[in-house]
Amino acid sequence: MAIEIDKLDKTILNRIQTRFPLVPRPFESIARELGTTEAEVLTRVTRLKETGIIRRIGGNFVPGKVGFVSTLCTAQVPEDKVALFTQTVNTFSGVTHNYLRENSFNVWFTFIAPSMDVIRDNLARIAEKTGVKRILNLPATHVFKIKAKFDL
Amino acid sequence: MPMLTDLEKKVIAAIQGDIPIVSRPYQILAEAIGIPEDTFLQTLQDLTDRGVIRRFGATLRHQKSGFQANAMTAWQVEEDRIEAVGKIMATFRAVSHCYRRDPADGWPYNLYTMIHGRSEEDCRQTARKMSEKAGVSTYELLFSRRELKKISMTYFTDAI
Repeated sequence: MAIEIDKLDKTILNRIQTRFPLVPRPFESIARELGTTEAEVLTRVTRLKETGIIRRIGGNFVPGKVGFVSTLCTAQVPEDKVALFTQTVNTFSGVTHNYLRENSFNVWFTFIAPSMDVIRDNLARIAEKTGVKRILNLPATHVFKIKAKFDL
Repeated sequence: MPMLTDLEKKVIAAIQGDIPIVSRPYQILAEAIGIPEDTFLQTLQDLTDRGVIRRFGATLRHQKSGFQANAMTAWQVEEDRIEAVGKIMATFRAVSHCYRRDPADGWPYNLYTMIHGRSEEDCRQTARKMSEKAGVSTYELLFSRRELKKISMTYFTDAI
């Protein structure tokens, strides 16, 4: 589905992905930077939100700095168990992303929890409940890049 | 273990969702947790300065903003080259994430990149360029076939 966005929309989208102003009137601050009005920015951001181009505006945290750990997990799930496995895994509020991918390791999900022990316990429970034996826990040992924004 | 105050936890819980698109969004959020707007903003600034907040701003839906395809790509890299290879791969604009992870039994890959593109062929082409530039020939592109879940993490929901 193609949604029409013009030059000012793109400029606004590029501006608001990072360093969203921490001032009482953030949209007015952005408007001043871009040479337009607060009302114009509010109208456009509202529309970009309604059309779904903007998923959300808010904070993104470093799990380790809020006292949590995060990891990437994958499993080899037989076709007839994908539904049960997905349902079981998605029950956990710490599972934030889950994708079916094209590989023998076909289900890939991220897991955030207060400790790695909690994650290991939960993976064991998932294995027990679904009968899926091959679940890998692949925590990152080094971060080379987390991209902050997508230029439009 | 990082220490966060109750106030900080409340502010984190307040901004992990979606801020209202109104003239004074922070005033509304601050009021909801019973603190003054300037305290709320000061706490936010402090969390940002300390790197607790990685990024504050809009998250886009790539599919609707032109980046239709994405491939998680798993690379098998000689351990003594991984630092150099990771740095090279991180320079590609199409790469949003680049992590080292330990290999596992039956899964020999130790470097992961998320590649975004206009199409799957676009992603494959980027992977080929990365492979050449970094000198890594063993890799797999894992295209997403279905999004099974995508949410933002919710922390400290009981702090409010």
